Amino acid sequence: MTSITTDGLTVQDFNQRGAAAAPNRKFYGETLLDLARRDPRIVCLTADLTLSTETDLFRDALPARFHQVGIAEANMVGLAGGMARSGEIPFVHSFCVFATRRCYDQIAMQVAYPNLNVKIVGVIPGLTTMLGVSHQAIDDIALMRALPNMTVIEPSNAAEVPAAVRAAAAHDGPVYLRLKRADGTETGMIEQEGVIPLGKLRLLRKPGEGLILACGLMVEQALLAADLLAAEGIAVGVADVPTLKPLDPGIAELATGLRAVVTAENHSIIGGLGSAVAELLMERGVRTGFARVGVRDVFAEGGTTPYLFEHYGLTAAAIVRSYREAREREGG
Amino acid sequence: MSAVADRQPERRIRDPRELSEIALRLRRKVIELVAPTGQGYVQQGLGAADLFTVLYFAELRLDPADPDWISRDRLLLSTAHNTAIFYATLAERGLVPAEGLPDYCKDGSPFEVNASERLGTVIEATCGSLGQGLSVGIGMALAARRRGDGARVYVVLGDGELQEGQVWEAALLAGSLGLDNICLLIDDNRMQVEGHVDQVVKLEPIAGKFASFGWAQHNVDGHDIPALLAALDGARTTAGKPTCLVVRTLPGKGVPALEGILAHNLKLPADVAAAALAALSSEDAA
Repeated sequence: MTSITTDGLTVQDFNQRGAAAAPNRKFYGETLLDLARRDPRIVCLTADLTLSTETDLFRDALPARFHQVGIAEANMVGLAGGMARSGEIPFVHSFCVFATRRCYDQIAMQVAYPNLNVKIVGVIPGLTTMLGVSHQAIDDIALMRALPNMTVIEPSNAAEVPAAVRAAAAHDGPVYLRLKRADGTETGMIEQEGVIPLGKLRLLRKPGEGLILACGLMVEQALLAADLLAAEGIAVGVADVPTLKPLDPGIAELATGLRAVVTAENHSIIGGLGSAVAELLMERGVRTGFARVGVRDVFAEGGTTPYLFEHYGLTAAAIVRSYREAREREGG
Repeated sequence: MSAVADRQPERRIRDPRELSEIALRLRRKVIELVAPTGQGYVQQGLGAADLFTVLYFAELRLDPADPDWISRDRLLLSTAHNTAIFYATLAERGLVPAEGLPDYCKDGSPFEVNASERLGTVIEATCGSLGQGLSVGIGMALAARRRGDGARVYVVLGDGELQEGQVWEAALLAGSLGLDNICLLIDDNRMQVEGHVDQVVKLEPIAGKFASFGWAQHNVDGHDIPALLAALDGARTTAGKPTCLVVRTLPGKGVPALEGILAHNLKLPADVAAAALAALSSEDAA
């Protein structure tokens, strides 16, 4: 995509990416198209957000299997249920907030209850939009986790997206895929081969006295936090948890005997990764210092991602603070 | 198309008199099912008996021996509520085991007050959360169009259900797509929980609204079996547009003491049930 300029006016809308992003690959769109070329059951639905969801690639290559449904997400999910019952594998697309909160009942009744092979794909997770509270999905993981039969996946960066999409497609059942598109701000991306093993964490750094569990954009912050703690002589491990549901039960063993465990997510601290880990540790009787980093039960506002992350405490520094507090509470 | 034509129901009944007799049997079954528990819809069931009879015995291409046949016509009961008549029809058509019917509404029975797919694939989608059935039907119709096997989709909505916004999202899209393998049937019985539909939120003109959304539409007397047959024939042969049939049904139809009474849930004491069955028998004799 390049910007459209006419008579000195520059078109800026959801479809437009920053100049820095222009050469970026459409990791999601490319992977979906690749899968769809090999599996004729895959169909693609979009609700007026084709370019934003990188499904223009699908539209142009496989138009007979592409459905533009207009600005009507609830209807889109219903369509997907009907298609899945007819042997197709629908991928439905919108922003995270509209793909989940706006059509929760439709997902519950027409996708999750009948356990259909529908993939709900959302872009713009958490606090990653200038558009403010209407477009910020801080409860989507919580909502999708609460649905029986639903699998929830969030890759940690754009380069991990292909492996996440392949994992979603390989799983026979409903999946919520929470994605951040490549926009040129990524650093140190190494594209993941294969599929993300569902229900398995990815240990990026082995635990010392403690552990940081993170998902999505907060994985990068968790690694930075571990570096900051290491500089103070505190060795902590870092794990990427790309499957929010089913949660890796191995987290319980990994956390056993540690002084503190901190979770970090670009989402409310209620109902997401932090809640899931707390539930698991409590049920398994794992006693450790514990803290959650995330949006602290407030609505946010529009702003740049660095500003919002700083303002709402989604930073490496916040993780470090939370870690110290957690180990102190535990008598450390 | 041949795959569908080859597998018509073994007896596709077109004789209005024979269909009337089936509808009468189904009305009696509605009384028998609802009376013991007081659960389920009497008035709506009696009102929709002719519509369900025509749909399942004259119109839908189904194979009771192969309920999962991919090219079958599909019917979605979007309200999922009007189940006494629905289950009675499915049993009469051989699509569900009739011996399970007496367990209607009993704990553990798949014959729940609201139809769910616990009953099997004959429940094409679990609805009941109002306003969702047409969307699912459009998904099925689009998939059928891609398969190219001529399968059609029928969606039954309650008139009160039209107050749900999602219905209009779906109607807008189906009209825009010119989806002519879908037929929407509005069971226009004028009843919703709080009373007469027009006293809650006015719906008229229903057909006119669909016309403006790009649908073919007709008002049909839901107790005029030849008219129902003709309207469904018309829907099947309408090209380039979805069809909406606004089917006017009379709550309690067939039992003079009950006709026209707007009651969302109606308990039938034993004597009223017996009188209703007697009335439905005498009509049979007449």
